[in-house]
Amino acid sequence: MIDYFALLDIERRPAIDEESLKHAYFGKTGSLRVDQAEGDAFSSLNMAFRIIANPATRIQHLLKLEFGDAGGGEIGADLGELFGSVVEALQKADHEFGSLSTESSALLRALAFQKIDGARERLNQIENELSQRECSLLSQLVRLDTLWPEKPAQCRDLLAQIALRLTFVQKWLSEVRERKIRLEELA
Amino acid sequence: MNDIVGIDLGTTNSLIGVMDSGFPILIADRDGSRLTPSVVYLPETGDPVVGAPADRMRALFPERTIYSVKRLIGRRAGESDKEDFPFTVKSQGGRTLLEIGEQLLKPEEISSLVVKKLKADAELSLGNPVDRAVITVPAYFNDLQRQATKRAGELAGFAVERMINEPTAAALAYGLDRLDDRSRIAVYDLGGGTFDISILELNEGVFRVLSTNGNTRLGGDDIDRELVRLLKERITARHPDLRQELDNKLFLARIREIAHAAKLRLSTEEMVQVEIPFLSGNRSFSYNLTRQELEAVARPIVRRTRSHCLRSLDDAKLNPVKLDEVILVGGVTRMPIVRQFVAEVFQRLPNNTQNPDEAVAIGATIQAGILSGQVQNVVLLDVTPLSLGIETFGGLMNVLIPRNSTIPCKAGEMFTNAVTNQTAMQIVVLQGERELAKDNWELGRFDLQFERVSKGLARIGVQFEIDADGILHVLARDTRTGRERVIELSSAVDVSDEAVEKMIAESLDNAFDDMAERLLTEAVLKSNELLPAVRSALTLVGDQIEPDDQRKIHALVHEVEAALKTRDPHRLKKANAELDEGTQHLATLLIDRAMEEAAKRKK
Repeated sequence: MIDYFALLDIERRPAIDEESLKHAYFGKTGSLRVDQAEGDAFSSLNMAFRIIANPATRIQHLLKLEFGDAGGGEIGADLGELFGSVVEALQKADHEFGSLSTESSALLRALAFQKIDGARERLNQIENELSQRECSLLSQLVRLDTLWPEKPAQCRDLLAQIALRLTFVQKWLSEVRERKIRLEELA
Repeated sequence: MNDIVGIDLGTTNSLIGVMDSGFPILIADRDGSRLTPSVVYLPETGDPVVGAPADRMRALFPERTIYSVKRLIGRRAGESDKEDFPFTVKSQGGRTLLEIGEQLLKPEEISSLVVKKLKADAELSLGNPVDRAVITVPAYFNDLQRQATKRAGELAGFAVERMINEPTAAALAYGLDRLDDRSRIAVYDLGGGTFDISILELNEGVFRVLSTNGNTRLGGDDIDRELVRLLKERITARHPDLRQELDNKLFLARIREIAHAAKLRLSTEEMVQVEIPFLSGNRSFSYNLTRQELEAVARPIVRRTRSHCLRSLDDAKLNPVKLDEVILVGGVTRMPIVRQFVAEVFQRLPNNTQNPDEAVAIGATIQAGILSGQVQNVVLLDVTPLSLGIETFGGLMNVLIPRNSTIPCKAGEMFTNAVTNQTAMQIVVLQGERELAKDNWELGRFDLQFERVSKGLARIGVQFEIDADGILHVLARDTRTGRERVIELSSAVDVSDEAVEKMIAESLDNAFDDMAERLLTEAVLKSNELLPAVRSALTLVGDQIEPDDQRKIHALVHEVEAALKTRDPHRLKKANAELDEGTQHLATLLIDRAMEEAAKRKK
């Protein structure tokens, strides 16, 4: 297994400052010769940057390197509940406006405008909630990062759980945002 | 010194450039022009004519003068059916081909003639042969379109050293003399046939693309087409007897030329006089076309770029205020309505310091300079615009390389035999963002060969690599035997001609049998949607319109109802369209009303 932290010459930590990560990555890619620019070396660096830049995949990679597996964990009751409302809002948006498209007549779209507006508001609320979750997960990550150098084993399960929860929150956020754009197209 | 040239192979115009003492310069042809119209005229006898002289043939020999071929390149049959070209576009063996007289040509063969002309111009100007090139492609081009473009370059005698995305090239042109800067920019590139939006981070010589989005079938050509429709309406309003004649190809080609010229002038003028002399016999047509009329037809087309901009911002995890500049590229961005629109979406005035026709070619030339070592301290990190994946059980798409991954990049997947002695497994490779496999582009399929072993023991690792040109390579490695093999994707365009012809014949037979039936069904559905909508709208906001207007709408409703009874699909379709058109202002009133109510609720 490739150690992407080592590849980029950065310390193995749960939290990584974005600027210093970019600095390391740009330094490495900049020193590749032009004839290497298409090869494996470049691909690996790009992959390393992608894995390390995203907190969820970074934690999973870190745990695999340190403990041999990324750990499991549960998403938790609170997120489970939020998931319910995400699915409901997405399905409602799809169900109500699935038959409408930018090709539909202006009058039909205008009649649906009020409903579309309501659905957009609901999606906005959910987006806000999800963004808040994302923020709080990231600040938990920063707290664990200070504990990490001393007691990595203690951090293990908590980190695995954060990674899992982040993965879900990110996935839902992108679904909610895509729906918002589709509704925007109709209005 | 063996120079590398930079080529912008555009839908409307193409350009070529070369590095000269560290500066990118564009090369003019013998007529002194740096823009070569991407037009090829194939006379019945003699050599093909390329560029400006070919462009002048468009209205004379519309069936033998090929333009906007970029809209056809790398497309499968069936993907290009909606274009209304005056020359014959055919599909054969799943490929899109052009039929000019007796000849059948691939779109990339036409493009290669344009590239050849540019090559000759460059060689004449430089005094030595050039055989290495960087060629630009729309960022949102898929694998097939990129491969076909590369072939066009190779057919013209070039080794294609790199394909570079057009908005990325424009960003290079913008950023080359700002290498110390750290900024985030968006490049809004609306060309003749394609639209791209890319968001980049410029960081001390590193040009990193954060996200890209677009539509390879959206551009100035669409505005021209709508403008032609408008002019045809105006002509038939004045000369109803010319309705039939207007569909004549020569006629249409003339109107298209005039419409295009009028569109260009309306970027700086408020009104132009459209003159069509000798329309029919001695009759001429003259019309004062206003910018407002042009904008009314252009607005829906320009608006379609909005969702791409929003997706691109989302993917870059940015909102518009975090951007430092929005750069405009592509001829269409000269239109004031496009500038206003961009300003609205990105909440800032766009930067128009770049020449919208030349920035991409200059960027391609800079990329050529990077490859040849003449430009140093510049690193380009571009992305793949579309997610790459394979079809999994249940017809779903399993993403292996997500969109906006920096290229080159790789992803591996391990496959095993599901049953004992299974000898092969078919892998379908897809590109796109939809969940269902069938909604994405199929890049091709291949068979993995297994040894005869017990279930679950075969182990074949497949590596998918997207190279720096954005082109896919697949490598399979049997981990038991250690054997490696490069996999050629048998793309869907390579299926046997007979199979495709049979398929097309069958669908055509069906189509002719039930074409009228289908038209009618579609029109009836539309009426059934529209009539109740009009009734509700009249109840809600009917009191806000003039009685005259009310009467007009009722008359349109009656016509739809009458047409429904006759079951004449053409009459019904027309009646629907007129009712749709005639109730536009009702739609506006409804939205105003809904917004007022929303404002009240929020208080």
